[in-house]
Amino acid sequence: MSTNEPTGAPLAPNQDPKAQEKPRKTRKIKTTKDVNGVPQEIEIEVEDVDGPRWGERKDLKVLNTELRRVDGPVKVTGRARYTHDVRLPGMVYARLLCCPYPSAEVTIDVQDALKLPGVEAAIVLETKTRFLGQPIAVVAGRTSDHADDALRALKVTYKPLPWAVDRAQALAEGAPNVRKNGNKGKPGQNGDRAEAEAAIAAAPAKLEATYSVPVQHHASLETHGVVIDYRGGEEATVYISTQWTFAAVGQVAELLGLKANQVTAIVEHMGGGFGSKFDLGSEGAVACRVAKELKKPVHLMLRRPDEFVMAGNRSGNRVTYKAGMNADGTLAGLVANAEKFGGLGDGSMARPPYVYSAGKTYSEVVAVYTNTDSNRAMRAPGHPQASFGMEAVLDELAYQLGLDLLEVRKANLKDKVWHRQLERVAKEIGWFEHPHRTKPGPNSGGKELGIGFGISTWGGGGSGGTECDVQLAKDGSVTVSVGTQDLGTGSRTLVTAIVAEEFGLQLGDVVARIGNSRLPSATGSGGSTTTGSLSPAVKDAAWNARNAFAEHLAPILKTEAALVRFAGGKVFSQANPNAAMTWKQACATLRDAGLNAHGKWDKDRAAALMGNGVHGAQAAKVEVDTLTGRVRVLEMVGIQDCGLPINRTAVRSQLNGGMVQSLSYALFEERVIDPVLGLALNANFEDYKLAGPSEIPKMTSIIDDDDQRSATIGMAEPAIVPGHSAIANAVHNACGARVRDLPLTPDKVLAALGRIA
Amino acid sequence: MKSFTLFNPKSLGDAVGALAAPTSSVKVLAGGQDLLTEMKEHLVEPDKLVNLKGVPGLDRIEFTAAGACTIGALVTVGALEEHAGVRERLRVLAEAAGSVGSPQIRSVGTVGGNLCQRPRCWYYRSEHAKCLKKGGDECFSFSGQNKYNAILGGGPSYIVHPSDLAPALVALGATVTLKCSTGERQVALERFFTLPGEGDIRRETVLRDDEVLTHVHVPAPAAGMQSTYVKFRERGSYDFALASVALALWRDGARVKEARVVLGGVAPIPWRAKAAEAALAGAAFEAATFARAADGAVQGAEGFGQNDYKIPLTKGLVQRALQSCG
Repeated sequence: MSTNEPTGAPLAPNQDPKAQEKPRKTRKIKTTKDVNGVPQEIEIEVEDVDGPRWGERKDLKVLNTELRRVDGPVKVTGRARYTHDVRLPGMVYARLLCCPYPSAEVTIDVQDALKLPGVEAAIVLETKTRFLGQPIAVVAGRTSDHADDALRALKVTYKPLPWAVDRAQALAEGAPNVRKNGNKGKPGQNGDRAEAEAAIAAAPAKLEATYSVPVQHHASLETHGVVIDYRGGEEATVYISTQWTFAAVGQVAELLGLKANQVTAIVEHMGGGFGSKFDLGSEGAVACRVAKELKKPVHLMLRRPDEFVMAGNRSGNRVTYKAGMNADGTLAGLVANAEKFGGLGDGSMARPPYVYSAGKTYSEVVAVYTNTDSNRAMRAPGHPQASFGMEAVLDELAYQLGLDLLEVRKANLKDKVWHRQLERVAKEIGWFEHPHRTKPGPNSGGKELGIGFGISTWGGGGSGGTECDVQLAKDGSVTVSVGTQDLGTGSRTLVTAIVAEEFGLQLGDVVARIGNSRLPSATGSGGSTTTGSLSPAVKDAAWNARNAFAEHLAPILKTEAALVRFAGGKVFSQANPNAAMTWKQACATLRDAGLNAHGKWDKDRAAALMGNGVHGAQAAKVEVDTLTGRVRVLEMVGIQDCGLPINRTAVRSQLNGGMVQSLSYALFEERVIDPVLGLALNANFEDYKLAGPSEIPKMTSIIDDDDQRSATIGMAEPAIVPGHSAIANAVHNACGARVRDLPLTPDKVLAALGRIA
Repeated sequence: MKSFTLFNPKSLGDAVGALAAPTSSVKVLAGGQDLLTEMKEHLVEPDKLVNLKGVPGLDRIEFTAAGACTIGALVTVGALEEHAGVRERLRVLAEAAGSVGSPQIRSVGTVGGNLCQRPRCWYYRSEHAKCLKKGGDECFSFSGQNKYNAILGGGPSYIVHPSDLAPALVALGATVTLKCSTGERQVALERFFTLPGEGDIRRETVLRDDEVLTHVHVPAPAAGMQSTYVKFRERGSYDFALASVALALWRDGARVKEARVVLGGVAPIPWRAKAAEAALAGAAFEAATFARAADGAVQGAEGFGQNDYKIPLTKGLVQRALQSCG
């Protein structure tokens, strides 16, 4: 899995109907049933399936309900142990020194640092840097204070080299080469430019405008980092804040000179990644180096300022759109020239036009490199960036023609799923009663209300590599084991819920063991593929366990295995529901070792359980004070399809989180670097502003239950795609202030309102 | 953070005694909400901290029968915000207190510390930017990222004063007591703050290293005062003002008798907008007057690029503040 580029998502997914179209096969079983005390021969029809199925939604007791996350209590009481919290005997604390300049020759004298009490290591890592924040030295001390003192005692001389940290510098004549072959990547071109230009020229409404979004940070509340437990010898454990438990094993083994079977990775709880945490990372590699040198456990978590400059980012972009719209609201043509700003990386940008049909189109997308850290995948890589300009272009052209913003969207969307979703969010947010549906409200000097829309898409799906164990103990306890990680998204609860459903139990009856590479293997969590990769494997294991338990219980219940039912904490034969055993009684009949079953993500069996391709729509309502430029988001409504929701609360939580994160992107977030001094100016949570509780609007998150696919689909990504576009459109709708450059800070709103002299 | 010794005096005398003849760098610690962040960022590295928290008698808010108010320097911003008398009689001050930082900061940060806090300017706060405020020879904000910098009273440094309490207290005509080992002096708060062009460019106030700000005195407001504090911040909590307006107003029927207009977040000191006050005095309490006051408030204001917006923003806030007294 690449840390830089998105897993490709289809731009116009079709809902995969395969899962629900499979013909339902049944067979009849002859059995006896007591009728008024007289045993009678009867026939019972049972479903004859060749593998696990989720079953009818109406029959589900745990899945598709509102579940509280199983690790909620340990998290809110502070008992959950994150990587940062790991404390081991003899452990040292390591700190990185990151270069404050974008490019420099560095000399570092470590002698004074090494002489300090409590300091165990001071190592030079780099003497010539090429990005702002590149680690140049590491120190380790017996306490974090010792490490901090060691950091200050390093004698460092910087000789700044020429750099480029922004577009102007990167593209200036005589700019230093950021990458070997210059400061621009190879452009990706699609379509016929002349044809698209001609279509635009012939259209009754035309627009040419440039839209840009800044570099954003993942801002995970837990910074990147590891604790390497290695004391020499032939075993090591790595505690790591990662989106991919199993990837860490091989990387650590190689760095420590061990074999993979000598290394264990542990991700008990994790404080967010959003795409930035797939690798051991340079910080993890450095921690291994220190551990190998000292033969002591090493705790290396990035400090917040370092996290901001060396742990990845969501690339910014700048796109010039030319577009034409026909009188009926359909787009006649669109030309997009896009630049991506992903530091040393290539950046992300879904190919324009984003989702909408746009007639004749041409796009050119090119990376512009700077001496800043490489972008990494961030929640729906490339999609929010592509959404922003596209949704704005639609509104700007619609206003030219006096068309309804909702109708214009529908006119350019072939897939009717978005039509119903847009109508739903429009209704919820009050669009049909809104006075400014075809032209913006006035720049009145007072406060004005506006509404805006945006849509999203994503793939999802899943892939092989995940396996799972389910164990039933003689005392009735149930354990499900899979080495996957829970980023805070609720995968621990998902795993638990699937097994509980299978046995007619409640969530609390099952314990999930996850986040450990000694457990059955699992894939990384990226691209909203966790649900599609994990749920079929867990379901498979649960189904195998149920079948094995049914075989075991059939003679005890004097029935056939196919007729053994698990429901409401009871076990019985379908022929004799009144002669039920409790779950505990049933488990007590097991041998001492209990019952163990294994399952895995199998291509054919998973195809009946997971899906791919989702749609979403969001609407935002804002209030703009046209005198001061203050934007308040009053309300957001989001709708999302996702096949069969495993946990409706978790799905809605993803939607809510996506809306909050996109609100923050719309109004506040932006990396700021002084181009002359080369210094990061807002690498902290005071100056890099995230939306807080005061900003959270009324939020309505809707699961699109018209999507009846009997398949699970992850939907973390699409929830973050359209919110900022909807907010920017709502500001325009309120008072005519079109801000084409995020974030929507008051300086830009006041400028757009023409209030700056 | 560099290691330091912590001195916990039990009396004000001991506290100022410790400041009398500093042999090493000494700083006064109250709530620590600003000082500790400065120390963590290595902007100041004192060898010794004099902790005022154990000094008795500095944590009280007292009103005289006539309505004058004395506020101890150790009163927390949160306590000020919640004090019934302050809320009832000095609304502008209660509102300003309520707009400071976050609940956590208000519960620890003190009134004295709030008035003595250092600038938030990005360049000042960056250890590697040797700016004027840190003994360098350039204010980087002038040609740099100056979105948050001053439009009034700037030069050669363009910091803005970050305090919310200061504009409110200046509007109320407050004075402060500054005590040293040999005595004390009373200074009008308006004179307490210094422009970068007036004194030591590395300081924002007249407070000397051997002094402690011990009390704030607010005279009893003349009868009939209306007041409010309107703060514009990008984020609704835990954010400093892009611009703010402390307004105290006395009306006589439909006319304004007198007004105090003090701006925060736009100048290196809490900025008394005298032209706005003059536009209001004796004028009809109506929209046209508000507009004239708004123009007066930004008289002489000058942006230098990214902070140009603060001019219309400040004008808008002055009008919103006046409207709210309607």
